[in-house]
Amino acid sequence: MSRLKVNGRSYSVNAAPDTPLLWVLREDLRLTGTKFGCGRGHCGCCTVHLNGEAMRSCQIRLGDVEGEIITTIEGLDARSDHPLQRAWVKEQVAQCGYCQSGQIMQAAALLADNPKPTDEEIVTAMKFNLCRCMTYPRIKKAIQRASREIRNRNE
Amino acid sequence: MNKIFNSFLTSSRRQFLISSLAGSTTILFGMSSAHAVGRQVINLLNPSSPLVVPPNFHPTIWFTMEANGRTTVHILKTEMGQHIGTTLAQIVAEELELAWEWVQIDYPEMTAEAQAAYGIQITGGSYSTHEMFDRLARSAAAARELIVETGAKLLDAETADCMARRSTVVDIVSENQITYSEILSSTAIEYKITEDDLSEVKLKPKENYKIIGRSMPALDIPEKINGKARFGIDAYVPNMVYGKIVPAPTRVGSTIKGIDDSAAKKIDGYITTLPLNFPIAVKTNAIPTALVIAENYPAAMRAAKLVKVDWEVSGTSKISSQDILTEAKKLLTNRSKGLAFVRDGNIDRAKQDANQTLDASYITGLVAHASLEPQSALVQNVDGIWNVFAGCQAGHVVRLILSNFLKTTPDKIVVHPHYVGGGFGSRVYPMPIILAAVAAQNLNRPVKVIFNREDDMGLEDPRTTTVQHLTAMLSGNGNVIGLKHDVVAGWIGFELVNIPAADNKGKIEGLSYSGADHWYDIPNQHVTAFRNEFLESVMPLGAVRSVSNNYTVFAIESFVDEIAHNLKKDPLSVRLELLTGRGKNAGSSPSEIYKHKFPLFFGIPGPAWKKWKFWPTYHASGNVAGAKRLANVLRISTGHAGYGTRLFGKDTAHGIAVTAAEERGMPSFCACTAEVHVNRSSGEVFVRKLTVAIDVGVAVNPDGIRAQVEGSLLWGVSNSLFEELTVKNGKFVQNNFDKYSWQTMSNLPELDIQIVENGLYPCGVGEPATSVVGAAVANGIFNAVGIRIRKLPIRPEDVLQALKA
Repeated sequence: MSRLKVNGRSYSVNAAPDTPLLWVLREDLRLTGTKFGCGRGHCGCCTVHLNGEAMRSCQIRLGDVEGEIITTIEGLDARSDHPLQRAWVKEQVAQCGYCQSGQIMQAAALLADNPKPTDEEIVTAMKFNLCRCMTYPRIKKAIQRASREIRNRNE
Repeated sequence: MNKIFNSFLTSSRRQFLISSLAGSTTILFGMSSAHAVGRQVINLLNPSSPLVVPPNFHPTIWFTMEANGRTTVHILKTEMGQHIGTTLAQIVAEELELAWEWVQIDYPEMTAEAQAAYGIQITGGSYSTHEMFDRLARSAAAARELIVETGAKLLDAETADCMARRSTVVDIVSENQITYSEILSSTAIEYKITEDDLSEVKLKPKENYKIIGRSMPALDIPEKINGKARFGIDAYVPNMVYGKIVPAPTRVGSTIKGIDDSAAKKIDGYITTLPLNFPIAVKTNAIPTALVIAENYPAAMRAAKLVKVDWEVSGTSKISSQDILTEAKKLLTNRSKGLAFVRDGNIDRAKQDANQTLDASYITGLVAHASLEPQSALVQNVDGIWNVFAGCQAGHVVRLILSNFLKTTPDKIVVHPHYVGGGFGSRVYPMPIILAAVAAQNLNRPVKVIFNREDDMGLEDPRTTTVQHLTAMLSGNGNVIGLKHDVVAGWIGFELVNIPAADNKGKIEGLSYSGADHWYDIPNQHVTAFRNEFLESVMPLGAVRSVSNNYTVFAIESFVDEIAHNLKKDPLSVRLELLTGRGKNAGSSPSEIYKHKFPLFFGIPGPAWKKWKFWPTYHASGNVAGAKRLANVLRISTGHAGYGTRLFGKDTAHGIAVTAAEERGMPSFCACTAEVHVNRSSGEVFVRKLTVAIDVGVAVNPDGIRAQVEGSLLWGVSNSLFEELTVKNGKFVQNNFDKYSWQTMSNLPELDIQIVENGLYPCGVGEPATSVVGAAVANGIFNAVGIRIRKLPIRPEDVLQALKA
């Protein structure tokens, strides 16, 4: 039995310690918002927050994250009302939507760390999150929009 | 208007029954009052007074109106990022005069009954809006007339004095009004709209559109930002087990001799390994596969590494990309293998008359779908019915194919639609569904098969490699009097859509050559189709976004620039000279009813097809005005980009191209002006800006169109600069995204997209713009640094080599 803290809740999971966190989230906890894309950390579909940092959950072993604070897309905001989620709707970013959980989690970690990223900083943070529908221009715009909103709120 | 109402009032009186509810007797029309139309329910608080719940108003298969005011539009297309449900719902809401906030959508199950009612339900070819627009508009308009007539009765008004707006019927004389909800709460309308109604109904003038033409937020987006959207890979049923394949040593042709799973037995949760030795049937994409079954997916992955499969290795195991290219080139030398795709004029005569000829060959590589959601399927048998939970672009075709594998009939198979995590043509192929179903039948448990990325890419059905040769015949005064185009391409294998050759000698898979039948006015034109059967023996080929247009348009549009440079003319003026819109390039007349060039694209033979066939009855043509519209978007694109007037820095220039994808019957006329920079020391090509004009006829949801065109253009950039699958030892070399790279957020070009509307019948936008990019970039490279790249993708090493030469 491994103990996991996900989205503010505690879970006991009966899975081998070397099981990728991705599959524990998806199959054991049925938090399917975190997606399986490549299994090698190349695409970013499975991005979650580990102690606030954006990480590829397909590359994390269950045994290594017991007791750590894990946040998935389902836990980013209780009412799906994170500034990034609002911006994502406003800019109509998603097409097929499959990569978007990972994109939003990656962007959320970026803005938490750097609320006012330059264009270049956005690209540096986001360029390893792939989108096959190529929604990149709108992802960029949505991050800029959310960044503006967060700054306005803090001023 | 009156005439149509009269037709309802007279001829349809027998069917058009409006019954009152809740005991009122003041409004009762039709044959009899004996009809019990309301569903009786028991009020638990007061059993002595049963309530009557008003029935839904369901005059057509496309939508259902409820007494609470809500209308559900039933979406029979697969949602894979194009927000098609929103677009189709807008068409219904417009003609039905619905308040948009009362509109919702659902995706009905695909059953035998659904197939009989809706047809074959293929989502592809960028056809959905084009195919559905008129049918939905007419169905909704006919339903609106029924509602208005009923509302008029309830208001005690003349029908002619009443109109509908925002889910309300208004008597314009008395200014009394009644909402749809009130109408449907107090009456029950029993009427099914007929084909005659559809042909007689009068559609709204376009200038009165209130919902069509507005960028309604996509109805599927809110659940795609919080993890709630359900894709095929998210499907779950209790008691299911998981399947993971052990890949074959070659893409096709290898068979299983034996399986040793002794090492896998120590894996906790491992159940068994099924040797699924399907007969070699490339078309269904079901190749022999060992399927490892376990209680959970991680266990299946662990066990799959330990299962030893003894393979009878296919004869294709020595084949590499170079062999494929060599064979393709060889094919071109054997004229007898060529099939006549286009035969206009007399090409030999043109050759004799020509002052000079110009030749060029182009090569394009294999391109993967690489959808981010790997293929998956869950199949569960409940009381003899096989339930398929998967995202697929052709659900009813899956039902038909699967029935053969399960030795049952299609009516015993139900496909439950799910969101598709990137289609691009990949979800036409039902391999994981077949595996899950056969395993579920074997094990008597629900089975969910998930391909990992390596499995998914290893089982790609890529876009064909092509070799194309073009010859232009030029007159002394600089006119193009002849054009000969040979195309070597592997076929996708949708045999039912094959068309007769232009000389009636043989049949051609038109889908593999579309785009070669372009809109330029050239009196003598031959396109010859060569089928690359050697390539087809190494892998099944697939329809990948915009299919053949990506290679045919690359070759033609590069070659037009080569012709222009040869004639010392501007490529823009050469194109405008050739886009005369004369003869066959005039397009249809606006009143002409479009007959699909590939009617069976949508279907398969049998009763289902017969049901479908009458659908395009009211369907206007998509290519009215033909080449003139292509010239128009070219003027807009170049004008907007400042073509010919911009001053660029070193090694930077514009390149232009046009496309009329997806095919002549449904062209979205599109032009692109690409600003391209070449780094002479690294050979890298940077696409800085794409200025694009695309003529869609009617833009139902402009922002949705913009999103599709943005994605298509970047997909085109990605195909042109980065993407290629190569083959070694009979299988693909690139099996994950470290080796198969594509466009990321780095070095995005600026996109300037002009949507052109003219009120003509709408055409699709999911794919066409992808095909315009390759040639525009290659032409830009020539204009920037003077080298001609005749190969896709455009690799830095090829650029460097050409710069040295």
